[in-house]
Amino acid sequence: MAKVVILGAGFAGHTAALYLGSRLGKDHEVTVVNRYDYFGFVPSWVWVGVGHMAPEKTTFKLRPVYDRMHVRLVVGKATEIHPDVGDQYVIAEKEGGETVRLDYDYLVVATGPKLNFAGTPGLGPGSGYTYSICTLPHAVQARDKYLEVVERLKRGERLRIVIGTGHGGATCQGAGFEYLINIHKDLVKKGLRERASLTWLSNEPALGDFGVGGVWVRQKGRFVSSEEFIRAIFEEYGIAWEVQRAVQRVDEKVIYWEDRDGRYGETPYDFAMLIPQFTGVPMKYLGKNGEDVAAKLTNKAGFILTDGIYGLPYEELVKTPDAWPAVYQNPSYPNIFAAGIAFAPPGPISVPHVTPNGTAIVATAPRTGMVSGIIGRVVALNIVDLIMRGRMTHRERMTEMFASCIASMGDSLWDGAAVVINVYPVVPDRTRYPNETGRDLGITYMEMGLSGAWMKRMIHETFMWKLQGRPGWTIIPE
Amino acid sequence: MRFTRREKFLMKFHPYQLWRFIVLNLKILKAVDHSKRS
Repeated sequence: MAKVVILGAGFAGHTAALYLGSRLGKDHEVTVVNRYDYFGFVPSWVWVGVGHMAPEKTTFKLRPVYDRMHVRLVVGKATEIHPDVGDQYVIAEKEGGETVRLDYDYLVVATGPKLNFAGTPGLGPGSGYTYSICTLPHAVQARDKYLEVVERLKRGERLRIVIGTGHGGATCQGAGFEYLINIHKDLVKKGLRERASLTWLSNEPALGDFGVGGVWVRQKGRFVSSEEFIRAIFEEYGIAWEVQRAVQRVDEKVIYWEDRDGRYGETPYDFAMLIPQFTGVPMKYLGKNGEDVAAKLTNKAGFILTDGIYGLPYEELVKTPDAWPAVYQNPSYPNIFAAGIAFAPPGPISVPHVTPNGTAIVATAPRTGMVSGIIGRVVALNIVDLIMRGRMTHRERMTEMFASCIASMGDSLWDGAAVVINVYPVVPDRTRYPNETGRDLGITYMEMGLSGAWMKRMIHETFMWKLQGRPGWTIIPE
Repeated sequence: MRFTRREKFLMKFHPYQLWRFIVLNLKILKAVDHSKRS
């Protein structure tokens, strides 16, 4: 009987748990360690953050799902990984502080990120001044603050709202964009929009980059870039933007940043939601004799090293599609896999930049949503392969992967909207697609309209169905 | 780039958007099928 331990039950870990449980659960032991006893559907938290969706509509309890799938759930967090052959186990700290040892034959690290608010002084809820929608409690806090802002606007105050990224190396710009436009739409509906100034503040090299190097599509016989497209939306909605900014620190009223030319500037605000830098979730990686083996498992940021080619300069990386991992397997410990944000990408997709002062402004590669789910599936199916047949048969590099991003621009099914962006592949592959964009122009696509709002709602409903392992869940693509 | 009056109208015009909803779903299903999904 094989023992599989999965750390994390986000998109990647939970998808892996569903596949592993449904295929191995009865005869083998599959255990998930997760901080919460519920799954949170992150893409809908932009609606929670403006008070348009109740938090409980975005969650479901994991235990009933795992009971059906023959998966064991440990609510807590992993604190140590002991990867050496002969004595491989994880130490997890349960809710009450009790520690538990979980032996494994295969380990999937899908912890998601540590939200590194400390990387930018003054950033974040709790110890800082800004808000976040990266966790459900954070989205609820952001909602409460936003609704306070709405009350102040109703009283006639004029306020500044700033949304974007709070670090030069942040990712997930798409979520910030969705939150910004949902705020715009909400304020328009409440008749308060003219009293609020909205600003997009981001580390992207250009508007509409979203950490994937932007998107180019053919429309009406000409190329249209996501930069032009997003600029047209911002101009239409009266939203200001400041890109190529690395936020340095935040105080009660001002966001201090450095731009790509090394100039320092300030953006005053009354309400700000800024996505922090993501790093790997801190854990101890200990060898047989108690020695630190973290260097064999993680990169400097704490993300798990996999079968990618690391250390290539950006100019080389864009010419090397095989630098992106295919099976997400750690080279030093082949029974350890990483999925979702936890895996270390070989580099950024967007053009990186270092300011004259030495500050890196790099929109880090996004590995959330559909990408996370796909990687979770590939990892799970390969573990099933290894247990059943002794060899892996599944692979999917981000340079071979399709992803669809549906960015909400108002949740109403009557007059809402969303931008639907299909990219194939997620990471441009200029060897297979020798055009300027490195992507398949027959598939890569972008459109805005009410149908997008319907798509976004449909995805919420179908994914809540799929992720609870209900009948037909495998038919719905990740 | 600017959205024309016609484009803005179509973005909200329900019958046209129903058509686009069907097309978008087909586009995604085709792309998922085209992608490796190994």
